[in-house]
Order: sequence, then C-alpha cells, then structure tokens
Amino acid sequence: MERHFELELEKLKKRILKMGNLVAEQVHNSFDALLRGDNELARQIIEKDRKVDKLDNKIDKLCQTIFALTQPVATDLRLIMSSLRMNNDLERMGDHAVIIAQKIEGISEYPDILQELHIGEIVNMTDMIVNDVNTILNSRNTTFVKDIFALATAIEEKVEAVNTRIIEEMMHKNEVIVVATNLIVVLTSIERIAGYSTNIAESVVFIVNGTILKHKKKNFETQAGAESTPPSAEEPLKESADLPTSEATPSEG
Amino acid sequence: MKEAKIITRDLTLHYGQKMALNSISMQIPEKEVTAFIGPSGCGKSTFLRSLNRMNDLIPSVKITGEILIDGLNIYQKKIDVVNLRKKIGMVFQKSNPFAKSIFENVAYGPRINGINNLKILTEIVERSLKNAAIWDEVKDRMHDSALGLSGGQQQRLCIARTLAVEPEIILMDEPASALDPISTGKIEELIFELKKSYTIVIVTHNMQQAARVSDYTAFFYLGELIEFGKTRKIFTAPDVKHTEEYITGRFG
Repeated sequence: MERHFELELEKLKKRILKMGNLVAEQVHNSFDALLRGDNELARQIIEKDRKVDKLDNKIDKLCQTIFALTQPVATDLRLIMSSLRMNNDLERMGDHAVIIAQKIEGISEYPDILQELHIGEIVNMTDMIVNDVNTILNSRNTTFVKDIFALATAIEEKVEAVNTRIIEEMMHKNEVIVVATNLIVVLTSIERIAGYSTNIAESVVFIVNGTILKHKKKNFETQAGAESTPPSAEEPLKESADLPTSEATPSEG
Repeated sequence: MKEAKIITRDLTLHYGQKMALNSISMQIPEKEVTAFIGPSGCGKSTFLRSLNRMNDLIPSVKITGEILIDGLNIYQKKIDVVNLRKKIGMVFQKSNPFAKSIFENVAYGPRINGINNLKILTEIVERSLKNAAIWDEVKDRMHDSALGLSGGQQQRLCIARTLAVEPEIILMDEPASALDPISTGKIEELIFELKKSYTIVIVTHNMQQAARVSDYTAFFYLGELIEFGKTRKIFTAPDVKHTEEYITGRFG
C-alpha cells in the first residue's frame, strides 16, 4: 500500500540518520582537535562542512517534495515536520563544530589552559549528549530523553561557571584576552551544540507520540515517573485510546 | 465543544440479517462541520441517512437505539417525518436539479410548504442563491433550465434548494466527489460559510477534504465508530492506531 510514499519516507529517514552521523562525527572531531590542539584535523572539519550543507539542502528539498505531493497527515506529518526541524538543528550543530575548529589555532598555543579550566570534562559531556541524541534518532527510544535534558542543563551550568572564571582572568591579565575570547566563543558553541541536541530529542518525542515539549523541558525534567513516556504537553494529545464504548463526545485536541 | 445538536445512543442498524451499524453513540456539535470518514461499506453513509430517517424507505432496515435532535427522539412514532426532513436538508453526491427553471428549483420547497406569494418566493430564492454562493452566476438567467448549469453550479443550486426551506442541519453525502477542483473549492468555501448558521454533517472519501472543511471527524470501520474527535487532532495525532493507518493510507 502506498509503496512510493513509503519509499520517500524511508529515504528521508535515512538522510536524517546520515546527517546525524555526519554531524556527530564533525562535533566529535572538533572536540578531539580542540583537546589535542590538532590544526590539521581542524582544517578537515572546516572542509567537510560543505558535505553537511549539501545534505541539509537535500533534506529540505525532499521534505518540500513530500509535502507538496503527498499531503502527509498524522505520524507521517510529524515525521516530516520534525525532519525539517532536526535537519536545521543538525546543520547548526555542524556550524558550531566549524566555529570550534576555527578557534583551535588561537587556543593551541596555550596547551595547559584547557586542563586548568576543566574544559575536557565539558567536552566529554557534550560528546556524550550528541551520541545519545544520535542513538535516539536511530532507535526512536525516548526512554532517556530526560537524561539528555539533565545533561544539557549540567553543561550549561558548567559553561557559565568557566566563563565567569575566564572573565575574571581577563580582568586581571591583559595578555590572556585573545585566548580567553577564543575560549568564550568555543564554550558558547559547545553550549549551543548541547542546546540543539535537546531540540532534536524534543523532535524525536514529537515524532513518536505527538507530544510537544518545546519550551516545556523544565516541567519534563521535574516530572516524576517520566522515565518511559514523556508527559503530555499543554494540550494532551493522548486521551482515550480505546474504541468508544459509551456515547462518544469528540475528544478535545 | 459547542452544544450537541444531534445525539445518537447505541444506534444499531441491520439490513435484513446484516448488521451495518453497531451501537453508535455520538454527539454532533451544533453549527460545526462534522466529517464522517472510512472505507467503502464502513457504515458512514448509512449512519448519515439514519439522521433524517432516509433509511425508513428501505423495507429490510431495522434500527434500534436512539437519535435525538435538539433532545427529541426522531424515531418516536409520533414524529412527522416530512417535518423532520424540513429541519434536516440533504445534499447528495450527484447533483439532482429538477427539470425546471433555476428559480423554480429553489422555489419548489417553499411552494410545497404553502408559500405562493411571488414577492416572498423571490426573496427566498434570492437569499438562498446568495447563501449558496451562486447568485452572481445565475441572477440574469433565473428562468433558464437548471439542467443547463455546470456540475459545480448544479450542486450549489441543490444546496440553495436545501437552504430555501430553512433547515437547521445539512447532511452532505460526498457533495464534491464528482466535481473539478475549482468547483470543489467553491463547495468547500460554501461549507465554511454555512457552518455559521447550520450544523453540517458531511460524508467524504477525500481525506484532505475532511481535514480542510471539518471541525470534527468520525472514523468508521465495519459498522463501528472507531474514533471521533477534533479534526486537527485526528489528522495530527489520532488516539487509535486504526485511524492513523487509515488516514495515512496504510490500509483501507
């Protein structure tokens, strides 16, 4: 049934996964290059961003075609809407990997500074979040979405603390201003990568059960017993899953 | 949700031995558009025709349960079916104008109801044609045969004919399925306008049409009501997997 349409959807899913893998690799390499001061790897990341951009355009175009030709509804509609959003988020993550790569040269002259500021820890946490998001993109298992949100919050707090420390250093030592500025840019990119990762996790939840978590992550994080199923958003989308046995009033949406 | 105009309770209908509707309970809101969807033979048209007792015309039909319109059970013995159908207009898949003039087609119902004053009839005809969004196209040829109109115009004329007897409910059985996209668009626009004054129930096989024109959607399958809810929810995140499979074209 609807074989052609199914093929198009499969193509879209594959392209999103490919984009996810490509961006995860770019982000991972940018972190690796940052920690090792590897300018050659940084150059390769900048070079490879073209691939990300090209795939970004291909996914956008495919979504446009599916919308125009098939008028998708329900789960198909959610998949395509979310694919557009995730594609955008992934592309932005790729851009931040490039920003990190561009700043490596200026930072690699000060090999000890990353260790002093425990930036390796932040980088590892962010690498973890990107991997987790890639996993749920693949599996559609939303069980640990809550952990992703918690991890992103932890990253945000750590980045803020390190930034405060950097600014204090800048106030006292003029000679660190350039490297400190580069570091602030890098940390901002790391934080944004974590932020985009949570957006993607939200999109996966939306695909799976139609729940809109956008701007509601805080509620979700504090919700007890939400390990397996994210809570309904403001407008509950799941109300009565059974066949109507008594008088059916239309379920509100 | 607005107040229910039509309430059905455990409505079961048999054609001879064959059960066509199984215990359908539903509340259809007033002055909204409710669409019935489902594969052929699912019972949606049968259910629609039960709402104005058109199934009474089929001898083998047996109905149990209740249909209340404005709280009144329309299957009570004392109900005058002719009066009931005045309150509930119906538009069919195939437009069926009478072989009379455009004017006489619309004036037909009011005449049957005893209105013979030409001035009043002219007012009713003009108002009905305007409300059916066809006045501008026919105002200069009111006495031409209705059969000379295009398919889309004939369908809107039939809607005007329905409006002329001032119903409260309009039942539409695939009203645009035989029309081109432009005429279909006009009918859909008309439905949107009419819902301000009428409760509309529409049967359609066209998913996009159901999504575009209706406020509520009911999905029927094998004589059962599988899901009934706000259209925007049914077409974005339905509760029942069966509904999802049908509207996404994966079965049916």
